[in-house]
Amino acid sequence: MICMTDYWKIDEKLVNHICAAAKLELTEDEKKKYLKQLEEILQVFKEIDEVDTSSVEPSFHPIKIKNNWREDEEKKYEWDPLGNTRHKEDGYFKGPKIV
Amino acid sequence: MVISKDQKLCDKMKSVKEFLQRAKAGDIDIEDFLSKVLEKTEKIQEKYQPFITINKKIEGKFSKKLFGLPISVKDCICTKDIQTTAGSKILEGYMPPFDASCIAKIKKEGGFILGKTAQDEFGFGTFCTNCAYVVPKNPYDVERSCGGSSGGAGCITAAADFPHIAIAESTGGSITAPAAFTGTIGLTPTYGRVSRFGLIDYANSMDKIGVIAKEVFDVAFMFSIIAGYDPLDSTSQKLPEEDFTKYLDKDVKGMKIGVPKEYFGEGVDERIAKLVWQKIKQLESLGAHYEEISLPMTKYAIPAYYIIAVSEASTNLAKYCGMRYGATEEIKGNFEEFFAKVRSKNFGEEAKRRIILGTYARMAGYRDAYYLKALKIRTKIIQEFKQAFKKFDVLAAPSMPVLPLRFDEIAKLKPIENYMMDILTIAPNMAGIPMISLPAGFINGLPAGLHLMADHFQEGKLITTAGAIE
Amino acid sequence: MKVMIGLEIHCQLSTKTKLFCSDSIENAEPNKNVCPVCLGFPGSKPKINKKALDYGIMVALALNCKINKSMFFSRKSYFYPDMAKNYQITQYEIPLAVDGFLETEDGKIRIRRIHLEEDPAKLLHVGGDITSAKYVLVDYNRAGVPLLEIVTEPDFTSPKQVREFLEKLSSILEHLGVYDSSREASLRVDANISLEGGERIEIKNISGFADVEKALNYEIVRQKGLLRMNVKIERETRHYDAERRITKSLRKKEYEEDYGYIFDPDLPEIEITEDWIKQIKANMPELPHDRVKRFVSMYGLNEYQAKVIVYTDKYLADFFEECCKSYKKPTEAAKWIITYLLKSLNWHGISIRQSKIKPKDFVEFLELIDKKVITERYAKELIKDYVDTGVSPRKIVESKLTKIDDSQLEKIIEDVIKENSKAVEEYRTGKTKALEFLIGVVLSKTNKQADPKKIREMLLKKI
Ligand SMILES: [Mg+2]
Ligand SMILES: [Zn+2]
Repeated sequence: MICMTDYWKIDEKLVNHICAAAKLELTEDEKKKYLKQLEEILQVFKEIDEVDTSSVEPSFHPIKIKNNWREDEEKKYEWDPLGNTRHKEDGYFKGPKIV
Repeated sequence: MVISKDQKLCDKMKSVKEFLQRAKAGDIDIEDFLSKVLEKTEKIQEKYQPFITINKKIEGKFSKKLFGLPISVKDCICTKDIQTTAGSKILEGYMPPFDASCIAKIKKEGGFILGKTAQDEFGFGTFCTNCAYVVPKNPYDVERSCGGSSGGAGCITAAADFPHIAIAESTGGSITAPAAFTGTIGLTPTYGRVSRFGLIDYANSMDKIGVIAKEVFDVAFMFSIIAGYDPLDSTSQKLPEEDFTKYLDKDVKGMKIGVPKEYFGEGVDERIAKLVWQKIKQLESLGAHYEEISLPMTKYAIPAYYIIAVSEASTNLAKYCGMRYGATEEIKGNFEEFFAKVRSKNFGEEAKRRIILGTYARMAGYRDAYYLKALKIRTKIIQEFKQAFKKFDVLAAPSMPVLPLRFDEIAKLKPIENYMMDILTIAPNMAGIPMISLPAGFINGLPAGLHLMADHFQEGKLITTAGAIE
Repeated sequence: MKVMIGLEIHCQLSTKTKLFCSDSIENAEPNKNVCPVCLGFPGSKPKINKKALDYGIMVALALNCKINKSMFFSRKSYFYPDMAKNYQITQYEIPLAVDGFLETEDGKIRIRRIHLEEDPAKLLHVGGDITSAKYVLVDYNRAGVPLLEIVTEPDFTSPKQVREFLEKLSSILEHLGVYDSSREASLRVDANISLEGGERIEIKNISGFADVEKALNYEIVRQKGLLRMNVKIERETRHYDAERRITKSLRKKEYEEDYGYIFDPDLPEIEITEDWIKQIKANMPELPHDRVKRFVSMYGLNEYQAKVIVYTDKYLADFFEECCKSYKKPTEAAKWIITYLLKSLNWHGISIRQSKIKPKDFVEFLELIDKKVITERYAKELIKDYVDTGVSPRKIVESKLTKIDDSQLEKIIEDVIKENSKAVEEYRTGKTKALEFLIGVVLSKTNKQADPKKIREMLLKKI
């Protein structure tokens, strides 16, 4: 965990950390450009601090939706799951190694 | 094959209503009609580029309610065996193994899928310029934007010289913006009213499939077909099916209209505001009453919306990594290297920006201040609308603060300035209330939009009101 | 030296279908039980399996937890080739249940939380192991199988206690009918262990109770050694090599991983009402704890016997009760099951469920002993054959009886007549008891493997 006293501030180190987590590779120029834009965005976003939300519940959806489930009934899906990839072998998907 | 009874009729006929009547009467050779439509579509494509993919295969059962009516579909909605990319290079060549639930309904009613319309990548944009394939041009001025993110849908609706309806999608204003910029009618339904199954996610708690068309009847007619409960979408609303065209028979007498002052404030083109006021006065002359109100949370909607949207979007976009579908690379290196390569190469600039912003807003240590706070602000925004709808049937405002911008103007906008352009559409989209944008008039030959909003599930009131002043 | 151990247990629930889609969870050819939902195809949407919720509530009640009235699913984001969406649907802030406990012989173990989540896909590392493979092959049949994650407080003080807890837990899950112990890797454990003066070490993904105990024992020895040599124990994640019976370092843990949790916007709130809980309670199967008590009161077993039978395996307890339906000496049955049957099963390394032992055959076996058709000493031998072959003891005895064919028996009888002329004479003079004596002698010469009725017939013909 990275501890920040001012959460509306973003720096290069943090951008690096984010890109590693999000699996994005940026050039140095891109990083600089995004950093500047993010700073400008956060300056505006900061305004939400003005809103008192102390007694407010979060809304996960615009409308309360509850208990929409399905029964435990099997339905076979007929298709070729490997039809959209060229990375396959003996009915398996093929992927990169771990280490 | 029946020979077309009146060849010229096929060429001239533009209205959906007329098409449906004549098709029902058996006056149209559908296959012949559709091949003409495809020819016309090719010409429109050359001029305005509304499509990423045009479907040239005329096949299916063109009977029932739609009789082969050409339907264009925003590219983020899955169409079986027709390339579906959500406007992103990372899904280039992707052939969905299934139809989105709304597409299945359209096919069942005999609709013809004309093609997949251009959009900002994954819906990330206000002007339909963050596009990996084509940037649609505004039929009123090809130097200008069609609005986004359903820009292709607005473009083809305005440009089509044949009966047609567009299926579009909105998360934060992506139906209203193109409808306003292209002088068409755009209906964004209540969240959960049209199934999201088969919709490629932008921000799942706000994504809504809707309709763009030329007439209010078309919008009501198509909405009746695609709305309804779907067991495949857990956020789908359990409401009975309805024929929404019946709301066109009602009038606006006694209707109460709220006019939120924040929607006419700083940054809103005065000429557009004036046109909108004319429309409100027109409603008054038809027996409606109006009153000015205040929605003070409007200001906070933009940051709250973007925080929620990018938080959800950045998780939705994680699945694109070159392993199961879409763009890929030779398998080399470990998974971190491989995923980073595929993603960095194929996501566009705005997609990367939103992934970064979203990953940031979700991070431990920040998520309370950003993500959770934004969810609470959403509650306040919903409450504010709910309060207003205790008193009013509909709210009226301009659809967009500006007239269709020129591409060179858009290119100069900073991301945050760009985000601010959504100021009028963000709050109702966050609250999941239904809204309709319809032409308010023209300024220097460019269309301006009137925006009507109603309480959850009150699409009927919007159709009645829009129909009265169409 | 004080040892602190905490567990995260992942248990596959034995529903028919996956947690968020309608594919079967049965074993199948690779990527046969998959659909766009569990493969994370664009546009697909999850929908929760009601049965998995029912099962989760049952377990929460059995482990004395507080059930949240309202629960949500979250997205836990991290990239890995076994993840269809590169996030796992799990529960974070508001799990199914919290604050429970389970008793062990050495004290109470507190349960911190119980939540539902989806299993990732299965990876095959091609051309080496996880650290040296060239690439991976992915089978998504397992992706989306419902997992119940049970997290304990670090209350364990020994590996033995961990094993007892896991056996009890597994018995509870089996009694509830929510878990199938015969599935491969259906119960997987992550164990956190720290010794006084050292940092916390996590051992990931151990399946099998015996392996958990072994891995922890190894860790204690290893860490004690390090502490003795004044080597600092740093936070890290280790992996248990079941073949070499050692733990190996996977990665150092410098900071808590950042999973960027958000509420899953595709899955609405689940409200767990009092009525729902009541309904589940009303239909709760008997729990092992209660079953032990009932075995004592109903069958007259002592507590030790009752516990062994119940906690070893639910199937064993069911087996015992099935036997007791037709066999009226439960303590005798318990004695034979615990002392001989279990020992023999253990020797073969199988559970009773995997064996071919049937209650009907076992009852016949007990009756053979009661009717003295076989001696106890022979019975102890016989049970080994029984476990080994699965052939019913009655049949084994019968086949052995016929092994002494008529001509062999005739020869034995002739010998006995020659050697016991006095008894033969007594019989002829009317002392019928002498015949019983002769039958006894013949029987013992056949190692009690001949049929006494037949011996009587043949003897009578000869004298
Ligand atoms: Mg877990
Ligand atoms: Zn599935």
